[in-house]
Amino acid sequence: MADRNTFRLMLLILGLVFAFLYIPISVLVGLSFNEGGLPTAWTGFSVKWYGSLLEDADILKAAGNTLIVAVSSTILATILGTLLAVGVEIRRRNGKWLETIIFAPMIIPDIVLAIALLSMFSLLNIKMGLHTITVSHVVFNLAFVCAVVRARLKSFDWSIVEASADLGASTMITLYRVVIPVLMPAIVAGGLLAFTLSVDEFIIAFFTAGAGRSSITLPMQIFAMIRFGVTPEINALATIVISVSVVALALSQRLNKGGLPGQ
Amino acid sequence: MTTDRRPLLLMTPALLWLTALMVIPCALILVLAFFRRGIYGGIEYTWTLENLALVFDPLYFRIFLKSAGIAGLSAAIACVLGYAAAYAIAAMPRRRQPTLLFFAVLPFWSNYLVRTYAWIVLLNREGLIVNIARWLGYNGELPSMLYTEQTVIVGLVYNYLPFVILACYAPLSRMNPEVTEASRDLGASAWTTFRRITLPMTVPGIATGFVFVFVLSIGNFVTPALLGGGQFQMIGNLVYAQFLTANDWPFGAALSMVLILVMLGLLMAQAVVAERASNGKGQSDG
Amino acid sequence: MTQAFLSIRNVEKYFSAVKAVDDVSLDIRENEFFALLGASGSGKTTLLRMLAGFESLSGGDILIEGSSIANMQPNQRPVNLMFQSYALFPHMTVAQNIAYGLEMEKLPKAEITERVNAILDVIQLSHLAKRKPDQLSGGQRQRVALARALVKRPKVLLLDEPLGALDKKLRSEMQLELKRLQHEFGITFIMVTHDQEEALVMADRIAIMRDGALLQVGSPKDIYELPGSRYAADFIGVMNFLKVKRTDNGFAAPDGTAIATAHVSDGVGEGDAIAAVRPERLFLGDAGDNHFDGTVSDIAYHGLDLLLHVETELSDTPVVARMTADVADNHRPEIGQRITLGWLARDTHIFPA
Repeated sequence: MADRNTFRLMLLILGLVFAFLYIPISVLVGLSFNEGGLPTAWTGFSVKWYGSLLEDADILKAAGNTLIVAVSSTILATILGTLLAVGVEIRRRNGKWLETIIFAPMIIPDIVLAIALLSMFSLLNIKMGLHTITVSHVVFNLAFVCAVVRARLKSFDWSIVEASADLGASTMITLYRVVIPVLMPAIVAGGLLAFTLSVDEFIIAFFTAGAGRSSITLPMQIFAMIRFGVTPEINALATIVISVSVVALALSQRLNKGGLPGQ
Repeated sequence: MTTDRRPLLLMTPALLWLTALMVIPCALILVLAFFRRGIYGGIEYTWTLENLALVFDPLYFRIFLKSAGIAGLSAAIACVLGYAAAYAIAAMPRRRQPTLLFFAVLPFWSNYLVRTYAWIVLLNREGLIVNIARWLGYNGELPSMLYTEQTVIVGLVYNYLPFVILACYAPLSRMNPEVTEASRDLGASAWTTFRRITLPMTVPGIATGFVFVFVLSIGNFVTPALLGGGQFQMIGNLVYAQFLTANDWPFGAALSMVLILVMLGLLMAQAVVAERASNGKGQSDG
Repeated sequence: MTQAFLSIRNVEKYFSAVKAVDDVSLDIRENEFFALLGASGSGKTTLLRMLAGFESLSGGDILIEGSSIANMQPNQRPVNLMFQSYALFPHMTVAQNIAYGLEMEKLPKAEITERVNAILDVIQLSHLAKRKPDQLSGGQRQRVALARALVKRPKVLLLDEPLGALDKKLRSEMQLELKRLQHEFGITFIMVTHDQEEALVMADRIAIMRDGALLQVGSPKDIYELPGSRYAADFIGVMNFLKVKRTDNGFAAPDGTAIATAHVSDGVGEGDAIAAVRPERLFLGDAGDNHFDGTVSDIAYHGLDLLLHVETELSDTPVVARMTADVADNHRPEIGQRITLGWLARDTHIFPA
């Protein structure tokens, strides 16, 4: 029957789209384990390219910087984003402008935000470095944390807050002992998401890092290396970066069954 | 609840943060666009419309139009592919759909540079595609696959396709299957049903996907820089150059301002489409 | 004409290994209002979807006026379905929704407009023609869905739980409205419902389905008064079931009193059996062919009549007896009172235990 043919066509479409999405990445990951390092021939499985990453001082320094930025911006964004989400959902009736401001960091083209921040930091004579990258990353990170936590709050039973008050808890104790624990999976999920976004973010970091190599992050290092040419080390580094994102995202997804944010 | 100020207290730190590091800097860009460029770079604080006029100078406006063309084409291709994929996912058994969707969107959350770089690995002179062609016995000169406009479009489609799938899947999965069955029952073929029922009901998802890909593509600077080669210029690269090499901040700000306006215009158009499709209120006969 | 208008012949449906419809054969007459009645999972909706063309047949055939429709696509069948969710197109107005099916027949514009307007008149929604479905009430949406299917003048109109989404008061209004429209259009209606009262009120004939198979087919009166099985007896209306035993010359209650009956169903063997009697067939006193004693445990007032709950040794749950208000006024029974209930042999049905 026609139904079966339609179903086959759908499977074919899915196959092609998934091939398009995954073949480039898979080739990259595969090559990173190729002993010869070249796509010309498979000369055997090897992790030597990963080993040579460890000897590259620039890469290690960049990875360290990325970790500093990602961890500190994630912590800040998680706190600010969670408080924002709780406040917004308690108020319920929020103006359109408020919703826009909370939503904007997720859709604003990063180049616009990057040059805007660069302009401001320069005009205010703020010396740029890891600290400026960090506070800039908090902008979009807090919006994503807020979105994830708000999604969870939509199905939150507010009567437990009233129950807590009824049993004699103050607002702060209720927040600390009732609201936060219930929201914990969503908060951690949002935090993990923020962490991957920060680890991967390139453009804003590139513009707000300031001069010199001291505050270069991993994506900036990768960008510089890519412009120089294809090397097996980049393949290995790229594989590590992809793995970090996939693991963090899979964890985030598992913790928070509400699905991926971003719409 | 309305008189309770505590929720506002919770929101204040984040809102202050967003104000200081997003609202004010963006407002600054808008102001900067109307100042004059200093003789040795920097900014001269006298009002002018020259920067905005320069955006519409043929030299630069051509880049604008070309960027818009590339962004439009990328968005259109991504929408066709993304809609087909979303439709196919929605046609699979319900319990498999979340997994399929997760894997369709997963690449979107991995590093943008790395995803772009993957295409360089595939397409460069010693890349996999060339090697496969050699292996198949083709020894002639291969057309350049890297550093062309087409490669930039492939890169943009590749990077933003997952978002389109997500945007199109949402309305498709919400559709009541009885609605398409009703169309078949009333005599419509499968194709007519798709054209007259499914497509109009899911247009908001396509509009969201299109606007998103367009906005992110037109301002993109990584993909043209990496896949388009050094000389390939899109608006994003132009903005980048004004701030980091040419040191003409006011002009860079003016370019950004136009970019923001285009984006806002498209987002508003998309909101209108969504409003119309959601059972167009206000069209009643009162 | 002995040939059936719509003939369902040995139809079967398997979902992988699960048998959803089990060898169903049915002949439905022209202009008949037919109801498929069953609990959820009985296969009634699957059968309806097979008639509409949304499920393929695993076996058997479906014929309309002698020709098979089993292999026709849904859009080619002279059959239309009114969906349970109504399935109105949300992006089209009421008029556009109704016109859609006619456009598919490629009719001239003028004729489409004329027929849409005519049916809008019939369902009294002309003033809402330009509204979108989400601006209508539930009852209005239901009528638009009906009009959208009826305007195509199908040979058979299928209705999937047509009144299920309406509140109780609207439901009883629409029951009569549907019957009126069916007469007016002279179209065969086949309705799926789980509501036995709806089936009794609306249908000319009812088929009770259970586990994919037909249990009994007949007029509402037949089905109510002569249930063919204990399940049918229980599913339609209220029925009291009493424990009885087979004896050498008939049936008897546990205490040995003989139970006279006019209806013994197939499969009643030796030993235990079940005697069934409707609440309204029980009366106070021992005047009937059968009678038993019991204690009144509850009295429920229902306006015109009373329901007495009587505890007896013949059943584990109290027997329900229904009496009109004037009978009750004469002998007003009280809770805790010992009473005798009698009934006639012709109102007694015996089923296998």
